[in-house]
Amino acid sequence: MPVFKAPFNGYSVKFSPFYESRLAVATAQNFGILGNGKIHVLELSPGPPGVTESVSFDTADAVYDVSWSESHDSVLVAALGDGSVKIYDTSLPPPSNPIRSFQEHAREVHSVDYNPTRRDSFLTASWDDTVKLWAMDLPASIRTFKEHAYCVYQAVWNPKHGDVFASASGDCTLRIWDVREPGSTMIIPGHDFEILSCDWNKYDDCVLATSSVDKTIKVWDVRSYRAPLAVLNGHGYAVRKVKFSPHRRSLIASCSYDMSVCLWDYMVEDALVGRYDHHTEFAVGIDMSVLVEGLMASTGWDELVYVWQQGMDPRAS
Amino acid sequence: MATPSDFPLSPPDDKSPIPEVVTTPSPTPPTTEAQQASIAQETPKQQDSPPSVFKNSEPLREDQIQNAIKFLSHPRVRGSPVIHRRSFLERKGLTKEEIDEAFRRVPDPSPSSQPTVSTQDGQKAVSNVQPQGQVQAMQPAPVVMVPPPSLLSRFRWYHAALAVGVLAASGAGTAVFVKKSLIPRIKSWVRRIMLEEETDPLKKADAKPSLAEEAVAAAKAASAAASDVARVSQEMMITKSEERKYFEDLTRLLGVQVQEMKSLSNNIRNLEGNYNNLPKVYSADQEVYGGGLVKTSAERRSYANGSNIDYDTRSARSASPPPAPPADSSMPPHPKSYMDIMSMIQRGEKPSNIREINDMPPNPNQQLSNPRIAPKTKPWDYGQAPQEENANGPWWQPKNPRSMDFGYETTASRSIGIQNETNTMEPAALPRQRSWVPPQPPPVVMAEAAEAIRRPKPQAKIDQEAAASDDQSGVSDELQKITKFSETGGDGSGNLQITEIQEEREQQQFSQEGN
Repeated sequence: MPVFKAPFNGYSVKFSPFYESRLAVATAQNFGILGNGKIHVLELSPGPPGVTESVSFDTADAVYDVSWSESHDSVLVAALGDGSVKIYDTSLPPPSNPIRSFQEHAREVHSVDYNPTRRDSFLTASWDDTVKLWAMDLPASIRTFKEHAYCVYQAVWNPKHGDVFASASGDCTLRIWDVREPGSTMIIPGHDFEILSCDWNKYDDCVLATSSVDKTIKVWDVRSYRAPLAVLNGHGYAVRKVKFSPHRRSLIASCSYDMSVCLWDYMVEDALVGRYDHHTEFAVGIDMSVLVEGLMASTGWDELVYVWQQGMDPRAS
Repeated sequence: MATPSDFPLSPPDDKSPIPEVVTTPSPTPPTTEAQQASIAQETPKQQDSPPSVFKNSEPLREDQIQNAIKFLSHPRVRGSPVIHRRSFLERKGLTKEEIDEAFRRVPDPSPSSQPTVSTQDGQKAVSNVQPQGQVQAMQPAPVVMVPPPSLLSRFRWYHAALAVGVLAASGAGTAVFVKKSLIPRIKSWVRRIMLEEETDPLKKADAKPSLAEEAVAAAKAASAAASDVARVSQEMMITKSEERKYFEDLTRLLGVQVQEMKSLSNNIRNLEGNYNNLPKVYSADQEVYGGGLVKTSAERRSYANGSNIDYDTRSARSASPPPAPPADSSMPPHPKSYMDIMSMIQRGEKPSNIREINDMPPNPNQQLSNPRIAPKTKPWDYGQAPQEENANGPWWQPKNPRSMDFGYETTASRSIGIQNETNTMEPAALPRQRSWVPPQPPPVVMAEAAEAIRRPKPQAKIDQEAAASDDQSGVSDELQKITKFSETGGDGSGNLQITEIQEEREQQQFSQEGN
C-alpha cells in the first residue's frame, strides 16, 4: 500500500470526485501551531512507488482542510489558518496559483466542504464561531451563519438535499441548517464535550454521525433527535474525524488521537468492524473514495499519508 | 470580591430528555422499519416543503420554558452575555422556539434602559431572588436579601472571621479563667480540709457536717463550673460549626472560580512538561455555567497542554483546538517536538523553519479553467451500491470480494455517466480498460414525459433531445427541464399533456425522496 511522506504534519486528505487516482492533502508546519502550510496533489499509480506528488502549493499559513470542486475537475478549495479561503486550479502551474483568496473569517478556518448536489457552492467553518456560504465566482461570501457559541469545527452538506447542511461545534451542539431559512432549523445537544466532526449518511438523508472529544461517535436521526440511534465506543482519545461510506449504508470510518483509524457498522450489535493502527502520531484526516469502493486514505501528524483498500494492511508493501 | 453562584443545574433540568450516553444501538430491523415508516409518513408532508424533516415540529414544552425562565431571571445570569445564556439552554436540550419564548417572557432589561429603571429592577430582582433563594439548593443556605450580594459577602467574610476570632478568644479565655478559678478553689478546699483535720480532729464531728457541707458546696461549685465550661464549650462548638457552615458555603461558591484558576495553572504546568491528570477539573469546568467563562477568561481553545497565546501579528494557536478529554482519561500524549514548539512559542521565540511566503493570488481575476470532465453521478443518487470492479485493475481497485463481509447487496452496475470521457482525457493514470457499461437508462418517468413532449410541437422536440443527452446534472435538473417544456409546449397542445407531465413530476419527486 502506498505511503506518501509529506514535509509537514498532515491535517486533511480528500479524494477527487473526478479522478479515481487523485487525492489532495492539506498539511501544516509545526503541527499547525505556527508556520507555513502546503497542499499536495497526489496521483496513485499501479506500480511502485504507488503514490507520487503531481503538484504542490505553498501557503503562508497552515492549511487545515481542502475540498475538491464538484463542478471543475482541476479546482480545489483550501481552508487556512490565517482565516483565508483560497481556490487553486491544478491545471495551472503553481506560480499562477491561487486563483482566488477570500479573507473574511476572523479566525482559523477549520473545514471546507463543497456542495455535492448543487455543485455551485461551498461552506467554510471557522473558529470565529461562524459558517460561511460561498460560490466559486463571487468575490464575497453569500451568507454567514452565526449562531454557535464557540468554534465551529466542521460544516457538511446533506448528500441528498442541496440546501441542508449540518455544523459541529465546540459549544457541544450539532446544528442543522437550511440555507433558505434565516437561522438553524435544529439544535441537537449531541455530546457533553466538544463535537469535532460530523457527516451525513449518504443513503439515509436523515441520519448523521458526530464525533467528539468524549471519545465516542454518536449516530443521530434528525426525526427523533432526542436520543442517538447508536453510540460507538472504542477510541481511546478524542475522535477527530468521522466519515460515512459513500458505498455502504451503515459503514462509518473514523480517526482519532489514539492514532488509529476505525471502521464501524452502527446497525450491528458489535459495531467496531475494523481497526488500523498504522499512524504513529495523531490521526487527523480520513476520507473514503466515492469512485472506488473500499478505497480509503488517512493522514496524521506523523507526516504520512496512507492509501489502502479496506481489509488490507495500510503498511503492507 | 464578587462570588459567582452556580446556576440551577441539577434538579429541575435533569428531567429534560437530554441524550445521555445511551448504551446499545437499537437492533436493525426495528430501526430501518421505523425509518421507513417515518419516511412514508414524511413523504406526504414533504410534497410542499421537502426539508421539513430537518426542522423541529414538536410543540413548545412548558416545563422546559419554565425552567429556562427561572434560569434567565437569576441576577447572575442577567449579567452574562446573551450568547452564553442561549448556549447553556441549547446544551440542556431546549429548542430554538422554546428558548425564544423564554427570552420573550423574561423581562430583559437592555443596557440602555437599565439605569432608568434600575431601582424598580432592583426591587424586582430582590423579590425574585427571594423565592429563588429557597428553591435553589445550590445557593448558600442563608441568602440574605437586602444588602447586595457583594457587600453581603464582604460583610460576612469579616463578620465570620471576627466572630470566629472572638469566640475562640472567649473560649480560650473562659477555659483559662475557669481553670484558674477552679484550681485555686480546689486547692483551697483541700487545704482547708487538711488544716481542719490537723488542727481540730475533735471538731471532726462538727466539722464533718460542715466539711460535708463544704464538700457538697465545693462539689456543687465544681459541677457548676464544669457544667458552665461544658456549656460554654458546647456553645462555642455550635457557633464554630455554624461559622464553618458559612465558610463552606462561601468556599463552595468560590470553588467555581478557584477551579477555573486551577485548570489554568494546570495547563500552564503541563506546558512545562508535566503530564498530570486533568479530568475532574476539566469536567467541572464544563459543567459549570459559563463554558463561555472558559472563553472569556482568555482560555480559548485551551488544549490539555496548550493555552491561548496571542501575538501581535502572527498569532500562534494551540495546535488542536479540541480541549482536554473528559473525566475518566488522561490527555493524549503529545509528540515531544509538539511540546518543544509550544514552549518555544510561549517563550516568544519563533520556530526557525518558517519561511516568508506570498500566497496571494497573482491574478485575482484569473478565469477558472474549463472542466474537462462532466460531474459524475454519486453512487447514492441511484440508491444502489456499485458493482465491484474487475480483478485486472490497479492495486487500488478491489480485487476480491471484500474480506470483511458486511452482507452488502450486490446490485446493478454503477453508472459511469453518459459522458464518460475519463478513458480518453485522464493523463495516463488508468491503464486498465474499464469494460464499457452502457449508460443507465434515464428513469422511466423521464421517458414518458419525453413521449408526451414528443407530440406535435416541433420546438419541444428539439428541446427534448437536448435534454435526453444532457443527463449529467441529476434528477432535479431534469425536473426543471421538464417543467420548462411543459411551460413552453403546454399552452397549445392540450391540457392532457400538462396533467400527464405534472403526474410524472410528482412521481419523480416521490422516487427522489424515497432514495
